[in-house]
Amino acid sequence: MTGVRLPRLGLVGRLVAILLATMVIEFAVSTVLYERASQYLVRDDEARRLAEHLVIARRLVAEATPDRRVGMAAELTTDRYLVKWSREMPKLPADERNSDRVQDQVVRWEPTLAHNKPQIVLVMPSGVIVGALQLPDSSWLSFRTLGPIRAAKVPYQRILSTLIPVLALMLMGGLLIRQTVQPLQALTHAVERVGRKTPGDSSSVPAAGADEVRQLIEAFNSMQSRIARLIDERTRALAAVGHDLRTPLSRLRLRSDVIEDRALREEIGNDIDGMEAMINSLLAFLGGEGDPEAPRRIDLAVLSASVADDASDHGHDVSYTGPAHLDVVLRPSSFRRAVNNLVDNAVRYGERVTISLTREADEVVLTVEDDGPGIPPDAIARVCEPFVRLDTARGRDTSGFGLGLSIVAQAVAAEGGRLHLANRPEGGLSAQIALPAALQ
Amino acid sequence: MIVLVEDDAALRVLIARALLESGYEVRPCKGAPEMWQALEQQNAELVLLDIMLPGTSGIDLCRRIRQQSDVPIIFISAKGSEVDRIVGLELGADDYLAKPFSTRELIARVRAVLRRWEAGRGASTAMLGLYRFDGWVADVRRRELRSASDAIVDLTAAEFDLLVVLLDHAQRVIARERLIELSRTRLGDVSDRSIDVMISRLRRKLASADEPAPILTIRGIGYMLSTPVERE
Repeated sequence: MTGVRLPRLGLVGRLVAILLATMVIEFAVSTVLYERASQYLVRDDEARRLAEHLVIARRLVAEATPDRRVGMAAELTTDRYLVKWSREMPKLPADERNSDRVQDQVVRWEPTLAHNKPQIVLVMPSGVIVGALQLPDSSWLSFRTLGPIRAAKVPYQRILSTLIPVLALMLMGGLLIRQTVQPLQALTHAVERVGRKTPGDSSSVPAAGADEVRQLIEAFNSMQSRIARLIDERTRALAAVGHDLRTPLSRLRLRSDVIEDRALREEIGNDIDGMEAMINSLLAFLGGEGDPEAPRRIDLAVLSASVADDASDHGHDVSYTGPAHLDVVLRPSSFRRAVNNLVDNAVRYGERVTISLTREADEVVLTVEDDGPGIPPDAIARVCEPFVRLDTARGRDTSGFGLGLSIVAQAVAAEGGRLHLANRPEGGLSAQIALPAALQ
Repeated sequence: MIVLVEDDAALRVLIARALLESGYEVRPCKGAPEMWQALEQQNAELVLLDIMLPGTSGIDLCRRIRQQSDVPIIFISAKGSEVDRIVGLELGADDYLAKPFSTRELIARVRAVLRRWEAGRGASTAMLGLYRFDGWVADVRRRELRSASDAIVDLTAAEFDLLVVLLDHAQRVIARERLIELSRTRLGDVSDRSIDVMISRLRRKLASADEPAPILTIRGIGYMLSTPVERE
């Protein structure tokens, strides 16, 4: 590329600029050439009048007796042309290598002038024509125009009249270019959606436009489907491994149940619980549990209370505050898992946990708050990413793969809601799920 | 006798051993053909069916068993999917066991299903079906409670079983001890305290803004569901 820093222009802008540049150059070059060509010419009617005047002057002066010739020349002088007679050849301005042109123009009207060794010069920049003719007796008739007789019209007008078609062409060209580039914009939107789309949203772009653009779009579409297939294969392989691991895990659990040593039995049992939790969270994250769940109307208040009851049964201080009933439409088990994960997190780091549910104007907001240490502010954005675990030191004790919050984020996004994590001013973490009220 | 259908040899042996140790007779089968043979030859009390058998779908097998017999079926699955669970239960399976399960869980489910089935043979006609009361619907097959607005109301398995016991004895007083005993047939261990806790949770879930839950405490005796129940 060039080292010149171009202003940031879109493809359409650039193409239009190229078009404009070509047209301006063409316009400038042709104008210059035309000006050049017309610079040393006079208007045809001027040339004709001059030629006629010269023919008359030639005859009258030639017919007059030599002593009367000066007077005759004076009589032939009008307010337009100055005519003089002299015996010697008058001194004319140096030839400006153009005299031929004006001379030809004049002679073309009155070809007989050619016999008089005419010397006709357009003096620039004054625009005055100066010249001389030799009379048959070798004396000279000299003349000059009194005013400038310059090449025709005012150039602005001509420039303007040339500019209008140029502008019209530009406009048309610009529109056509835009039209041509349109499919690229659709492609751009599709590329932007890659990896962000929700399942079922096909980002295949309709192939349209010029051959090159069409090929690009088709290449993109097939790349898309290759990537989708690849991801799908991996996901299914991983999910299949997850499912298959449950059978040996079942054997292990049944085998461990007959171990006499109670402490050992419990330790192995805990390990199996840990593995089971990992498989469950992996499968939940991959969506590998088979058919996607259909949304159903559920009582979110009772669900939240149930999650709190369950955590209390496991010895944690978890309470629910909010309405006794609040119906929403969502995917029951994936959403329940999301609430569960938030509560699991909260009881891991805090002592007292509250689940609260409020109905607002356009949202239903579920909040899980704990009184633990919270999350370092710089890490808040990261914790929802899969496989991120902040407590590396305690990593061994925690279940799952660091997928807990990713699963929550996924489940909430599937309902069109928002997950917001923030440290509470009084300490601890507040995890908030806001669901659109349309789900009610 | 329990017919066990499981394709994983080691797991088949382990499950069979666990059942034997709890006093059940077991006929282990590694696939559908052996299962049909077993069902023909012997009088099966229960089928424990792994849903992911090579070659056949357990769901399909479940449907075919139901066509010719009402023997209780518990299916075992490595998929934790809610969809699978509901499909299985709707096809007429009686319960569902997700891998990996413990010996205690296995025996509790087997015992509960067998007792429920024996009880059902005798008296209760509402073994599998719907209970309607006060606008609520308890769907026994899907093990789901739905509110008047048709929203699913989240109940734990134990709470649901307790509710079913109350529904079966609607408008009659049930002694606490009897309730504990009945609940125990459905799920593992229920202590005195947890019955009271479960009752209070059920009440909270069944209460609406203007009406308390229709579960009355009969002081010194037990509890009573005070509303009429329709069965389907």
